[in-house]
Amino acid sequence: MVHPGRGAKVTTKLAAFRRVGVMVVRELALTALLLLGVSLVVFVILHLSPGDPFSVLLEGQAPGQAARASVREALGVPTTWYGRYLAWLGNMAHGNLGTSIRTGVPVAGEIVRAGPNTLYLTLGSLLVTLLLAVPLALYSAWRRSGALARALTLAVYLISAVPVFWLGYVVIYLCIHRFGLFPLLSATAEPQRHGWLYILLPIIVLGVANGTVSEVTRHLREELGRVMAEDYIRTARAKGAPVWRHAFKEGFLLPMTEMIAAKMPFVLGGAVIVEQVFNWPGLGRMAWQAAQDRDFPVIMGITIVAAAFVRLASLLRGVIYAGVNPRTATE
Amino acid sequence: MTRSPVLEISDLRTYFYSRAKQAFIRSVDGVSLSIARGETLGVVGESGSGKSVTALSALGLIGGSPGVITGAVEFAGGDGARAGGNGRRNLLQDLARHVTVTERDGRIVAVAKDEPGWQAQVERSMRGVRGKEIAMIFQNPKSSLNPFLTVGQQISEAIRLHTPVKDSREAKERAIAWLERVHMDSPRLRFDQYPDGLSGGMCQRAMIAMALASEPSLLIADEPTTGLDATIQSRIVALLAELKSGLGVTTLLITHDIRVVSRLADTVAVMYGGTVMEHGPARDVLAPSVEPKHPYTSALLASLPSAQKNGGPHAIDGRLSVIRGEVVDTMDVPRGCRFYARCDRVTDTIRARCMSQEPALAAVTAGHQIRCYLYGDEPRDGARAG
Repeated sequence: MVHPGRGAKVTTKLAAFRRVGVMVVRELALTALLLLGVSLVVFVILHLSPGDPFSVLLEGQAPGQAARASVREALGVPTTWYGRYLAWLGNMAHGNLGTSIRTGVPVAGEIVRAGPNTLYLTLGSLLVTLLLAVPLALYSAWRRSGALARALTLAVYLISAVPVFWLGYVVIYLCIHRFGLFPLLSATAEPQRHGWLYILLPIIVLGVANGTVSEVTRHLREELGRVMAEDYIRTARAKGAPVWRHAFKEGFLLPMTEMIAAKMPFVLGGAVIVEQVFNWPGLGRMAWQAAQDRDFPVIMGITIVAAAFVRLASLLRGVIYAGVNPRTATE
Repeated sequence: MTRSPVLEISDLRTYFYSRAKQAFIRSVDGVSLSIARGETLGVVGESGSGKSVTALSALGLIGGSPGVITGAVEFAGGDGARAGGNGRRNLLQDLARHVTVTERDGRIVAVAKDEPGWQAQVERSMRGVRGKEIAMIFQNPKSSLNPFLTVGQQISEAIRLHTPVKDSREAKERAIAWLERVHMDSPRLRFDQYPDGLSGGMCQRAMIAMALASEPSLLIADEPTTGLDATIQSRIVALLAELKSGLGVTTLLITHDIRVVSRLADTVAVMYGGTVMEHGPARDVLAPSVEPKHPYTSALLASLPSAQKNGGPHAIDGRLSVIRGEVVDTMDVPRGCRFYARCDRVTDTIRARCMSQEPALAAVTAGHQIRCYLYGDEPRDGARAG
């Protein structure tokens, strides 16, 4: 960056801060509305789907209507679905996500306990995806028509087509049964020999096979290629300035944040599967279990957290866009 | 010419491959030009005559689609002049090593290009030249400035890259002085603005300030008024004229607008179909009824609205005259004169030669050359003879 003197920098910075502030307020309001919508939709789906948590609790007891009603009453659950939704919403407003119907443990506590594992998994695998995609995108933007660039692009498309559960099982099979690298354990157990590898494996599997590598590569390459053909990059070259300095924002930073924000839902979706395959004690596995139990407070809690997380990624994108791009100020 | 040339382009050729047409286009096909220190050389011609590509080739800014540049661009910068002419160097030195052109019957059939080696070579020979010795301004000033950086950041960058000023505050003062110099209103305010907040004319002023801020030996202005409103155009021309007299910047001015050239240029080169048709002092080349003149130049001048008032030789019934026919196809360059198919001054004595052999750029008076058999007998050196 060029620093054109302090006074100038301050005014420029101030304008950027104001842009970012306006954007954040708008995004947060949008997020609140979105979460409300998501919770309603998920709640309705849960209500419409067959089975309810009370049958699960009364499993093996051939529950009659009376038994269900008594359990429902014992738990203090309203009878109508909208009644339940409003009750849930009221609790939510007080920061209370309710308790698990199955275990009776507060949902918020469970999410806080399992959340970091999922955070680690998703952010780690996103990093793996980017470590694969970015060098490849840069290389193929530079050598657009090279044979190696084409071969690598094709390889990336093939990788993206690999289903994540399949790759997960193959990796587990190879590492545990073929090479005996570590015993069949979950990450909750005592760290063993090659324990670090076991922690890295799900991240690598999810990073490679979440199906976004090819798209991230393509988007980065196209954007960089497009920006390199812009008039202002020609000006930068004619000026003898480092082209990278001029192309960085529009050609790299913006498409990167764009891709991170856009691909976050896919990575989260992949995490559910990878957590199952690797017995990873995260939100994904928890959600899976809760779905089987029709444990609606847990499902709702995780849905809200996941949706908020996805919104957070797009908030990050918004902040970077507004901070970097003066044109967003005029919209 | 008494003054030593700052830039001397000889036999420059730039070819592109057109994927759509599956053929090579000879955008620039053997251009030779020279610009003396302090002089403004105007290059005029229709769209597609290769004038912009000539300028871009001189700075090695041809990239992307397989573009091939051959020839020589001898440049003597500020240091070169002090070193007594020994500082001249060919900016296209060793570039030919990375490319093989195969021609058959005047058509290029194959080009083998080592793109990475080529690019590396261009970057090597242009280091310390681009921006520092030769600065360039473009058409469409709005898109030519980086939208993500303030005008001030972009001018300061040029100053800090190419002048001894490295301190950012000093660079800012310098940049603001340049903005004043190009008559930007409230330069201090504009310094902190992004190009998006400026009009096209202001952007071009900022571009000019940025180009001149590094105090280059040569300024290349590629269609500096194209894409601007008519009133803004004339103000930019006035600014360039003022800077020319005030700073004495050596300028290569590329434009299709003859009025711009006639206001700014000392010498003029008229380009057609990728080559120079006429090269001489502006007053001789551009005066409508002064002979000798290349038939293409006369036709070009006759197509100007002002030519009617002067009763130029091509004004017909008070209507604007047009040059009949299409611009020459640079994929399949004719064997004879490029302008032959559209020329209305062919005489029976020269017709055979016009059709078969391209004429040479022959001197008619000192410093005035014309590529036409009306004024010279010589065919072009290395012309593809019958």
